Amino acid sequence: MRTYILRRLLQLIPLLLGITLLTFLLLKLAPGDFLSTMAENPQISAATLDAMRHRFGLDRPWWLQYALYLKNVVLHFDFGESFSRHQPVFVVLREGLANTLLLAISGAIITWGLAIPLGVWAGMKQYSAADKGLSLLAFLWLSVPEVLSGLLLLMLAARTGWFPVGGMRSLGYDDMDWIGRAGDLLRHLALPALTVGLIPLASRMRQMRGNLLDVLRLDYVTTARAKGLSETRVVFKHALRNALNPLITLFGFTLGALVSGSLVSEIIFAWPGLGRITLEALQTKDEYLVMGSVLMASVVLVAGNLIADLLLAVADPRIRYE
Amino acid sequence: MTVRTSASHAWAAALALVPLLLSGCGTSGHGQTSFKDTNPLPADTMTFAMDAIGNYGGRFVIAETASPKTFNAIMANETSSSDVTQRMFVGLSDYNNITQQDTPGLAKSWESSADGSTWTFHLRHGARFSDGHPITAEDVAFSFAVCTDSVLHSSVMDLLTVNGKLVQVTTPDSYTVVTKFGGPYALAIPATGSVPIMPKHVLEAAWKRGAFASAYTTSTPPDSIVTSGPWRVKEYRANESLTLSRNPWWYGVDPQGHRLPYLDEVTFLIVPDQNTAALKFQNGEVDGLDNVKPEDYRTYQANQQKGNYTLYDLGPSLNTNFFWFNLNKVRDPKQGPVMGKPITDPVKYAWFSNADFRRAVSMAVDRDAIIRSVFYGDAVKCWSLMTPGNKQWYTGQGGKWDYNPAQAKALLDRIGFKDRNGDGVREDPQGHPIQFSLMTNADNVTRVAMANFIKDDLAKVGIRCTPSPVDFNTLVTHLRNDLQYEAVLLGLGSATPPDPGMGQNVMRSSGLTHYWNIRQPHPETPQEAEIDKLIGENTATANMDERKRTWGQIETIINDQCWIEWLPCIRVKIPISNRFGNLQPSVIPHRILWNIDRVFLKSRARA
Amino acid sequence: MSEIAELTPTEAVPAATERAVKPPQSPARLFWRQLRRSPLAVVGGTLLVVFYALALFAPFVAPYAQDDMDRSRFFQPPDRVHWVEGGRLHMRPFLHPQSPAGDLQDFAYREGTAVAPVRWFVHGDRYRLFGLIPTDRHLFGTDPPQRIYLLGADAFGRDEFSRLLFGGQVSLTVGLVGIAISFTFGLLLGGVSGYFGGWVDTVIMRSTELLLTIPGLYLIIALRALFPVDLPSQQVYLGIVAILAFIAWAGLARVIRGMVLSIRREEYVAAAEALGMSRMRIIARHILPNTMSFVIVAATLTIPGYILGEVILSFIGLGVQEPAASWGNMLAQARSIRVLTSFPWLLYVPGIAIFLTVMAYNFLGDGLRDALDPRKVQGGPTG
Repeated sequence: MRTYILRRLLQLIPLLLGITLLTFLLLKLAPGDFLSTMAENPQISAATLDAMRHRFGLDRPWWLQYALYLKNVVLHFDFGESFSRHQPVFVVLREGLANTLLLAISGAIITWGLAIPLGVWAGMKQYSAADKGLSLLAFLWLSVPEVLSGLLLLMLAARTGWFPVGGMRSLGYDDMDWIGRAGDLLRHLALPALTVGLIPLASRMRQMRGNLLDVLRLDYVTTARAKGLSETRVVFKHALRNALNPLITLFGFTLGALVSGSLVSEIIFAWPGLGRITLEALQTKDEYLVMGSVLMASVVLVAGNLIADLLLAVADPRIRYE
Repeated sequence: MTVRTSASHAWAAALALVPLLLSGCGTSGHGQTSFKDTNPLPADTMTFAMDAIGNYGGRFVIAETASPKTFNAIMANETSSSDVTQRMFVGLSDYNNITQQDTPGLAKSWESSADGSTWTFHLRHGARFSDGHPITAEDVAFSFAVCTDSVLHSSVMDLLTVNGKLVQVTTPDSYTVVTKFGGPYALAIPATGSVPIMPKHVLEAAWKRGAFASAYTTSTPPDSIVTSGPWRVKEYRANESLTLSRNPWWYGVDPQGHRLPYLDEVTFLIVPDQNTAALKFQNGEVDGLDNVKPEDYRTYQANQQKGNYTLYDLGPSLNTNFFWFNLNKVRDPKQGPVMGKPITDPVKYAWFSNADFRRAVSMAVDRDAIIRSVFYGDAVKCWSLMTPGNKQWYTGQGGKWDYNPAQAKALLDRIGFKDRNGDGVREDPQGHPIQFSLMTNADNVTRVAMANFIKDDLAKVGIRCTPSPVDFNTLVTHLRNDLQYEAVLLGLGSATPPDPGMGQNVMRSSGLTHYWNIRQPHPETPQEAEIDKLIGENTATANMDERKRTWGQIETIINDQCWIEWLPCIRVKIPISNRFGNLQPSVIPHRILWNIDRVFLKSRARA
Repeated sequence: MSEIAELTPTEAVPAATERAVKPPQSPARLFWRQLRRSPLAVVGGTLLVVFYALALFAPFVAPYAQDDMDRSRFFQPPDRVHWVEGGRLHMRPFLHPQSPAGDLQDFAYREGTAVAPVRWFVHGDRYRLFGLIPTDRHLFGTDPPQRIYLLGADAFGRDEFSRLLFGGQVSLTVGLVGIAISFTFGLLLGGVSGYFGGWVDTVIMRSTELLLTIPGLYLIIALRALFPVDLPSQQVYLGIVAILAFIAWAGLARVIRGMVLSIRREEYVAAAEALGMSRMRIIARHILPNTMSFVIVAATLTIPGYILGEVILSFIGLGVQEPAASWGNMLAQARSIRVLTSFPWLLYVPGIAIFLTVMAYNFLGDGLRDALDPRKVQGGPTG
């Protein structure tokens, strides 16, 4: 097991190298640089632009810039500075990552917390009105673009006052005790998490239902039924555990998508997350900030896959890694 | 030789407001004071004229689309940062957004030498930074030194360079600063005023170490950010909110001698989506919006009473919209094999360089229709970089080539552009169909919409125009580097102050932003040579009459040549809550916060 | 956009590893019988056939070109088509043309008393049907200068109905192009990876990890700039989708690999190997066909991801550009409070189109999954 994890981690090195090179190339391939916006300002002269380009090292050939970047990463563990903020990139990204993870994990809890019980219920009552109604509802929500459902939820919040209109904290947050703070955070989290969480609900629920139905047809389940166990007992004691396995792999995938999956909600709900920082960095060509963000996202993705594989090994004794 | 003292300014402004003062809305007294001014006032306070004497306390919340990137005023290069740093750091002079004139700042007065190249500033005695440390000529000299540091190369450096020479700063005594420019300079006051005064005693070490750029970042602890302006940082939550609180040592006072600012706090909420910001405003979480889409004006207008706010009509914007044809030549071996050859296809270059073609295009554009649809009726026609919203420089001339499709067609016929094969598109005498692409940046909905209209209008006179919205960075690359385009639709935001001198690189044929033909080694046309001469005269004198005369001549030449095809400019309206007094929203940015140090929360306002 | 890449695989159940069932009836007949048992899938399928037909014939069905403006009709509400006037049934439908009422800025319109008949097969804009047949016939229209705006007009006085049809051409095509490319690569490489194993497997799987982490958004921004300026925006967008799909095969390849790993242990594969068939032939003839039901379902469920992806790209300004129409940019235009309150048709026209299409694909995919599931044939519904 330990060697397996070690091997996976070692495989991470060429992967990250490949990713930085690809991202760097893409950034250089796209036109313009960090000073493009400034170039449109009539008060700024060509000499100033050249001097600034030199200060940021943007006047060097791209391969040299990349080599220097790698050198700093390897030798000094220095991932560069944001051009606009004059701060190390991970200082800029850190807070955004925490907020995005909060949003994405809450969304995932909503997705899985609803998908598994509802999927099981639908599976046990296959083809009943409840089964059909549930999937219909989930599909309806899936079909509304997030861009729209987010705005509609916000308008609802503004109209009713049940939820705050975007943001992450109230202005009086600092004066609250910890219970008040937690409540305030939750109230702000509710709508964006719902928007993020309900979208994949339909497919996850259908998967859970399908998996359960698959397992219920297996011989050992038939045996259990033949022994006269109640259907509830058969499902929860014997079938559920195995039906969950395929979902664990899927969960790994979702972990990887966490970082980028909530961009639209972050914008609409003014949620101070990583997606917004990255989009802005991308638009202004704040290159090392983009690189840092991509690196972070890929580490989370690979870690997600690894965690899923390990969880699977724990859940399913038939799987062994050596 | 101009001798301008600030005192006369301030008094003139104060006198003009006396009637208002007397009839003021009566919210006197300091009922809700939570703030006790414990620090002594400086010897030279700066008294601000105002509508009403306010009271202490309260908070103003504004929504911004992007988070500030840095709190270092000298390194701030975009508005999301400078909107904040301008509240935190003063300059030698300040600017009144309503009168559109320079006002005293840290310098209580100044005078110039006879030729207008040397300017002497007299600093306020007793002015202090937010940590109580006195502000002296040392700090001013330090700030100028940082701004003109060739390694840091701040963006104000160009403003401080005249005839290729950087400004020289000397400090005869602790309260006198002498700036010597490379020649007579019309923009001396706004240029020196744009240098933010930052504390030498805090920052000098970092500067000497070469670490100035990363001093005062957004992750610097708020307490250690020492400011010279009315506000200092209280709390910053990355990408979420920024709260400023009062600088207890600031020199500004109200007419009764109470120290400003009145408000305890100003909060910037970072809200990237305009619709979300609008909902937050309607919900009372935000007190003012400084950018509202024209289509929403009507909705705001209708709900003013219900929402207890006012939709202020600030008049025509100072931002312009226009398009132009590419007359650029190869200036760089990367752009083409032969230096000095037109970049565009010779066939198209022949059309674009024909002033009658450009005039016909201008006359084909139905600006009234654009105003009605794109701007929902809230825009005005504009024929110059100095828009009707400009109180100092708007001349009212132009409009000779406004919408007139019949004449546009006649003009095209006259230069031999006729539809010879009956396909609805004209051909030039050699038989090439008249068509071009019109590039603009895709993220700007208004520009894309205008490009749509222009396409439709030109089709009606037999010209095929293809709007081509592209990514902003792509657009800039085409404009500056490879010059590969046929026509571009763009806008120019106003500088503060909105002075022709600030946009002189657009006028000068050698300029990097002389859009239609940039970086000419020598002016290529007699008209451009004349403009070069005029703008040179314009920026080398402080005599306003003389400057207005030369500017008027420049406008006449540009409009006659039609190098720039002018488009309407929007009428700005913004909603602000009625709970605050002394609001004076202006069309010049920052529209709400420019005088926020004088704004107060009305005591009887409902919570 | 990374969403596109992520919405791809795994949406469908990597169902059934042990199938190899010999159905008693012809598979096609069984399939139809099963599919018909799911009314939602039939509804979804029918809806999609109608939508695609409309998109295919868009220039003919649409009364106007997608960029045809009318300056007297900014934000004109939808025209009502009448059959009955004063209790009298008319032989042909007609409408009362609307004209601006009051202040121009109010965009208020009033129906006049004049009558404009709806005519069939009228002459209008010239176009080429399927890009080939030049004609100027349109399915319906009215007498110029009157216009018929069934779904109202947008800010430029363009016909929302026509734009919906032309926009559908883009929005309905992106998914097809996307899956065609990504599934071809995903199947091939996943199959090879799973069947051969060893270093081939390692190389392919590590590349998929690399591709899965490439941020699609950066790719789009970088690629947009590489297309020539005068290329129509729809084509630029399709080009980008093609390239995005080219990297989107990675997720699918991983799933296919997993399935192949178990299928290759089946006896008939061993038999084929014993018979000396070439390995590529085994993959193509014996292994991949067994993943088909999964692939069809996954493809059906992947397409809506591309449609919604275009909506998100338009939201951040990277989708199909004006004046070309797409459902995404039509919806983006409607994202304003004024539009929501005063001109709601601009929201619900593209909104409902997207909603119905995405739902139709999901219903169809869900029905297909049930219909293609061989166990159901055997055992019938359980539980």
